[in-house]
Amino acid sequence: MPRADIDRQRDEKLLGDLVPWAYKRSGLIRETWDEAGVTPDDVTSMDDFHEKVPFIDKDAIRSYRDRHHDPYGGLLCLDPADPTMKGIFSAIFSTSGTTGDPTPAPFAGRGPSMLVREFWELGARPGDHFLHCLFTFRGPSIHDTIRGIGATPVFVDHQPGDIEQLLRFSRDFRPTGWYTLSGPLIMMIEEAAARLGIDLQDAFSSYKGVVFAGEPIGPRARARVEGWGLELFIQTSLGDVGAATECREHDGCHMWEDTAYIESLDPEGTAPVGDGIRGELVSTTLIDKVAPLLRYRSDDLVRVTREPCACGRTHGRVHTLGRKGDEIIVEGVSVLPGDVWGAVESIDETNGLFQLIRPAREVDTLRLRVGYATEGPGGLLALRARIEDAVEAAVGIRPHVDLVEREVLLRQGPPHKIPRVTEA
Amino acid sequence: MTFAAAYEDPPRVWGVGRVVVGDEIVPWAVSEADIDDETEVAASFLRDLGLCADELVLIVSYLSQAIHVAPFERAAGVIGALYSSADASRFDAFRTASLVRQLEPTVVIGIDDAVLDGFDDLGRNPAEVFASVRAVVASGTAARVRLAAAGVTAGVWLRLGALSAVAYPGETELRYDATRWQVDDADGELLVTNLVDRLSPSDGFRTGVQGRIPTPGRIAL
Repeated sequence: MPRADIDRQRDEKLLGDLVPWAYKRSGLIRETWDEAGVTPDDVTSMDDFHEKVPFIDKDAIRSYRDRHHDPYGGLLCLDPADPTMKGIFSAIFSTSGTTGDPTPAPFAGRGPSMLVREFWELGARPGDHFLHCLFTFRGPSIHDTIRGIGATPVFVDHQPGDIEQLLRFSRDFRPTGWYTLSGPLIMMIEEAAARLGIDLQDAFSSYKGVVFAGEPIGPRARARVEGWGLELFIQTSLGDVGAATECREHDGCHMWEDTAYIESLDPEGTAPVGDGIRGELVSTTLIDKVAPLLRYRSDDLVRVTREPCACGRTHGRVHTLGRKGDEIIVEGVSVLPGDVWGAVESIDETNGLFQLIRPAREVDTLRLRVGYATEGPGGLLALRARIEDAVEAAVGIRPHVDLVEREVLLRQGPPHKIPRVTEA
Repeated sequence: MTFAAAYEDPPRVWGVGRVVVGDEIVPWAVSEADIDDETEVAASFLRDLGLCADELVLIVSYLSQAIHVAPFERAAGVIGALYSSADASRFDAFRTASLVRQLEPTVVIGIDDAVLDGFDDLGRNPAEVFASVRAVVASGTAARVRLAAAGVTAGVWLRLGALSAVAYPGETELRYDATRWQVDDADGELLVTNLVDRLSPSDGFRTGVQGRIPTPGRIAL
């Protein structure tokens, strides 16, 4: 789709539809706009939108929820008791809750989501089997999307206890697509295959593409999975208004700009940053009329580019760098989990399991808690020294490393990720 | 995220789930028609558990149980209610507790041993977590016993082959739909046969569950 058409669609959906809809029905949007002295009549162009529309963020949603005893944080635009909504507003799902209370997410409708584009890009086709490896709290959307491309879901739990079935169903049903794989799952698959004597290249030979999601993947883990013959398509959240997924060029995750308007702004201010420059992702839905987010400051640090992709798509791409709230300043140097990820996982004994200790944004010492599977040849002291050397080489700061058995860290997260930053 | 047009000719198989017989896991394909038909049965269960229009049922399960769970999800809509979901894992027990507090469901179905272990980890008493819930249904008899010990009179939900059977709180016998399924006991083991069309037929399917049939439609364990 030509850029001019993308922009025209955005203007029509946003200014002509979403803005007045959300202002009229969303308690949070109306309260925020009223405090800013803005009404939909004031927003007739994208310049107006950028200049006048106030931001919302997760704290604003939680505050509204607590002040109004509204589990939807003032975002719900539909009345569940409205008879015309029966069969449309059907369920309430929730965020992963990695960093706190899971946030309820109202869900409307049934049918395939825009992920049909991603599943097609993976190479899955009508008549194929497709491995659906996830959780229940995300709702039926993925299932409907798999059927939406004419494929058949094969259900597997994203849990350590179901790895043997994942391997078995992969061999028996020969799926072509897989949603999703995660860092902890990679570790568990590797161990199960070794224990059971399974050749993973053979077991996974039917897959044409696998979506990796939940948290970033380090270069070592990626190489290991590619050694199994799997092509990974990284997926990242798009500021809670959708997801962005890599294409076959693997040069950033495509954000579908007919579904969301994405801004990249100065993380400490409101000015837009240039194409490819680090900024904070600010998201606005173009399609969600159930619980629409408008100018939602996601806390995600990203690089956004709207340069055309080699794959031919004109929709922009996002490279996720980390979360603003995760940034640590040590000796004037910014450190994010992604900056030390490759260094930690380069030490075999760690499997890349680590946390940054962040009691405050600015600290005197970079502290890491690192999980280990084995002590390695020289014992724990030598292991700690190797990790500290690797991290120092990566970020220029010598860290203090606390070693813990890896299960200590794995227990802290859902099965697909662990909290990478912790206060203590 | 918006919805795209559905593929014009979706596969007959709705999905490949599984049935569990003891330690054995059997892949089990069901059709859209199977799910729709079982939805009627699930709606009857949920109504009897007290779920009404504009209320919410929290379904605690695993994705691998989808062929048994999807009818309950759809049944909520048939009643005019909403549903929410949490995993039946030890880790995700915090979600069950959180969603009960935030969403105030009328019915919670699928509490298993792992969730109760998770409550223990969190220092949460099931009686306190479920104090506001009208009907709690355990997944499996062991969890029901643990809930009772904690002061929660729960029902029980069993997956017998491809069918679901439910005992309501305070009742000992499980109910199943005898117009769709025939359940026999042979040497104490429950065997399941479908009486209406199913994509994957069950003909005296051995469930691995011990019990007897006092009358069609009822199971005594």
